[in-house]
Amino acid sequence: MTIVYLAFGTIFGFVLSRSGATDYNYIQRMFLFDSFQLYGIIGTAVVLTAPGLWLIKRYGRTAAGRPITIDRKPMHRGTFTGGVLFGIGWSITGMCPGPILVNIGEGKLYAFAALAGALTGAALFGVLHPRLVRPFKLAA
Amino acid sequence: MHNLTMPLILNNLTPIPWWAAGASIAAVTLALLFFTNRRLGLSSGFEDLCSFVVDRPYFRRPGLLTAREWRLPMIAGLVLGGFLSALLGGGWHPTWALGMLDQAAALSPAAKLAWMFAGGLCIGFGTRLSGGCTSGHGIFGLSNLELPSLIATLAFMASGIAMTQFVYRVVFHWSR
Repeated sequence: MTIVYLAFGTIFGFVLSRSGATDYNYIQRMFLFDSFQLYGIIGTAVVLTAPGLWLIKRYGRTAAGRPITIDRKPMHRGTFTGGVLFGIGWSITGMCPGPILVNIGEGKLYAFAALAGALTGAALFGVLHPRLVRPFKLAA
Repeated sequence: MHNLTMPLILNNLTPIPWWAAGASIAAVTLALLFFTNRRLGLSSGFEDLCSFVVDRPYFRRPGLLTAREWRLPMIAGLVLGGFLSALLGGGWHPTWALGMLDQAAALSPAAKLAWMFAGGLCIGFGTRLSGGCTSGHGIFGLSNLELPSLIATLAFMASGIAMTQFVYRVVFHWSR
């Protein structure tokens, strides 16, 4: 199965790389309302994924016949606050999590610093997690 | 909205059309669910990487450790996809180029690293706190009609817009 996930990741990464989704300029131009490209990409992805998901859930099984299981994400105070923080980071770096890795593959040297920051941020969250449960009403 | 088209920083390549990229992303997302029963989500991969070095209960959740078997190869694929994209599109040439940021502020490589690290911190902490990123909340969550994903997506789009508008319009007086 490893090779299947590697293949999915490779296709995903290649598409992100060639579409502008990993490109600093395209991300800033999206946020400046100068370019429709990224809105078009995300919008098309959602508009096509939504009916596909509906069909797969209706069918209820994977291609191999196992029941489809989808873990829904919980709602809490961190949903919004974390989103705000992530958006600031997306603007600063011009990369969201997937594109950080794609940019490293492309040879963008500064992306290593973005990855180091992201891993530090995630580690910090894990370390502080017990103290964040109450203020953000996270699942303990 | 204007629709500025410009070459990619990567080898000055012309980007593929947005509809083709969006359709491909949808295809991978649906295939991941239908063939392997996995919910698309990339930022959780940071936790999988952390789980190798940070020995805290949060990184020892059973659900996280079992997800390694698919998230790690998926992440490796993203790096490989970027590498192949460069290799097949004019060659793999390591670069510090940052397009508009280079035009607006001549930052040294060290300053770029600091700027990127600071942004990365916001991404790592923010996506963990929010429970997802552009893929897990923005694409999968919205498509699955999940309210938390709508809230998260509105939050990160709004703050991204506010931050870039502040940096480029206010700080850099950008008018191009």
